[in-house]
Amino acid sequence: MQISTLTLIVLAASAVAFYLGKRRALNLVAGQGGPRSLHSMPGFYGAWTALWAAVPALVVLVSWVFLEPLILRALLVSSLPQDIQSLDPDRLGLLLNDIRNLAQGNIVSGEITAVQQSAADHYRHFISLSRLSMVVVCLALSVLALAFGWSKVSPTLRARNRVESFVKVVLILCSSIAILTTVGIVLSVLFESLRFFDRVSVSEFLLGLTWSPQTAIRADQVGSSGAFGAVPLFTGTLLVSSIAMFVAVPIGLMSAIFLAEYSSPRVRATAKPLLELLAGIPTVVYGFFAALVVAPWLRGLGDSSGVDVASDSALAAGVVMGVMIIPFISSLSDDVINSVPQSLRDGSLALGATRSETVIKVVLPAALPGIVGSVLLAVSRAIGETMIVVMAAGLAANLTANPLQSVTTVTVQIVTLLTGDQEFDSAKTLAAFALGLVLFVGTLGLNIIALYVVRKYREQYD
Amino acid sequence: MKTDKLQQAGNSSVETESKKTKTTVPGPGSKRTVGNIKAADPVMSATDVNVYYGDKQAIRNISLEIGKNEVVAMIGPSGCGKSTFLRCFNRMNDTIEICRVEGDIRLDNEDIYGKDMDVVLLRARVGMVFQKPNPFPKSIYENVAYGPRIHGLTANRTELDEVVQTSLEKAGLWEEVKDRLDQPGTGLSGGQQQRLCIARAIAVSPDVILMDEPCSALDPIATARIEDLIDELRKNYAIAIVTHSMQQAARVSQRTAYFHMGELIEVGATEQVFTNPRTKLTEDYITGRFG
Repeated sequence: MQISTLTLIVLAASAVAFYLGKRRALNLVAGQGGPRSLHSMPGFYGAWTALWAAVPALVVLVSWVFLEPLILRALLVSSLPQDIQSLDPDRLGLLLNDIRNLAQGNIVSGEITAVQQSAADHYRHFISLSRLSMVVVCLALSVLALAFGWSKVSPTLRARNRVESFVKVVLILCSSIAILTTVGIVLSVLFESLRFFDRVSVSEFLLGLTWSPQTAIRADQVGSSGAFGAVPLFTGTLLVSSIAMFVAVPIGLMSAIFLAEYSSPRVRATAKPLLELLAGIPTVVYGFFAALVVAPWLRGLGDSSGVDVASDSALAAGVVMGVMIIPFISSLSDDVINSVPQSLRDGSLALGATRSETVIKVVLPAALPGIVGSVLLAVSRAIGETMIVVMAAGLAANLTANPLQSVTTVTVQIVTLLTGDQEFDSAKTLAAFALGLVLFVGTLGLNIIALYVVRKYREQYD
Repeated sequence: MKTDKLQQAGNSSVETESKKTKTTVPGPGSKRTVGNIKAADPVMSATDVNVYYGDKQAIRNISLEIGKNEVVAMIGPSGCGKSTFLRCFNRMNDTIEICRVEGDIRLDNEDIYGKDMDVVLLRARVGMVFQKPNPFPKSIYENVAYGPRIHGLTANRTELDEVVQTSLEKAGLWEEVKDRLDQPGTGLSGGQQQRLCIARAIAVSPDVILMDEPCSALDPIATARIEDLIDELRKNYAIAIVTHSMQQAARVSQRTAYFHMGELIEVGATEQVFTNPRTKLTEDYITGRFG
């Protein structure tokens, strides 16, 4: 029986259990005051029984699915001849794979030996046995637990509290999945980075001025020494991000001021969603725009005025990235400016301040922490942005502050290091994880500062 | 715009007003104000003022004068238009888009809704204190210095220091804050904040001070201090105060105007209005029969 079918059967049993539990609760109190004398609403008794019918069986089902391969493998290995058991783990793994494929009728590498054939038969036998017992155990458990839950139903059972605390546990589990995933990502990046730092020292990575991640695969290869000084990447990232912020902060902030303070409600109602639409454009589309329109245009402009502009200049990528970030700043700042109490504006206006004086001297200072927070969030977004720079900023790790030259960023290098077929034990590939770690730490720091600033601001008015 | 809420507030107050029309009925006879609207030495005078929020009329044909060295109290049930009327005197209603003001309001015989009137200069001459203390999130000093700075009233720092000190002294706050002028105004207590707002209004040396329920967010002790202050300020300024507390009106004002459903029902010397009201509506309100 398929696992999905089994799941459906358990859920159906759960639905039946809901009905049974609810009916039992109602029957118990029929003639003795009716539903009113129940501790909880009848539905909660139904839910209580339904949970008993479904949860234990499903938990067993899930753990079975996860543990089955491990147990089967152990059984399989112990059934193999002694000389095969003592093979080194890699070879053994390959052999087990072959046996598994053989058992499932897939393509097998090489000739099939008699040992393999008999092992495959064994394996097939184990699997069918395992599946059968899984079905029996789950269904039995479902029915037994249902009966147990059903028998527990009584007018004094605090079904609502039990069901609600179960739901609470589910909610906690869901939120911890998000957090645990983040932790998992951090740890995987961290451990790979540590492997990288075994080969390249931290100081060379963080302070070195040359970035040339090609390493020799064979000893006789030439021109592939490998240099992992990430400073050019950091400066490139900073250059592109600061160009982006140069574009985004003034435009975003001023459009926020216009929207919040000067526009009529009707203009605001149309303009704000339109501006936020910019945030919905996929970054790869911005990438086209940067690479195919802005960069050639800047280059042409440079040619006609005698300035040497690289065809994949930091300027093109930065400007387009800035346009992409405008809605972040304008939308967040607009919210912040709007949450400055009207009474402050009134107070200023009543003193004879003009609208612009009010905005500059009262509203903006009051909103400043929130604006700083939104800018910091935008910066971390700019630093982490990948697609635009991949398409428009180039790969040359130049250590330069000239926006007309080609630079490369941390994110671009991560992409190039990890695209294509890679061996995961060379310093070149592992460097991507170290870069990822630096990027993560940087943006995390910015986000923490931004959130702190924004929260501090909130305390003032709420 | 931030005025959305205000507009809604305006609308809803007008709505409750129109609902009340059905229940309490002022009667067509109350169209004319009873009592003398004239002040002895008028600074501001309003004549036949009508205010509309969109289609709804919030103020009907009100005329009233505010005189030098006197406190005019405006009382009446919620939604009767007294705050709206008060906000006509410094054109704060301009900030509400759907609000329209008709009629003639003069400051020293100058039409404040006229073409030549600069609303910025008008508001410098007609200060306002709001219901909820609204100090800017700046230091105490900067709060008071705000007005003089934007109007360029002082030539140098010494003069500004002087203006700040005098204003705080007049508002009765100097002794409490003189050692911490650089601390945020928002850190003061509610009553202190309101006195800071009064000092801020005084600092631009206005002719008139409008107060919109200045004590409604304060405790009785802070209220008493503000009331003393109002009495003190009367020596130098013309003051109009909107209040919900009839005791307060009786304590601080020389003249009292009773508003009802957007109309000015009765004006007179405070003592007379409270002891011997000439209209039934005023009497009902004062004796607590409604409102």
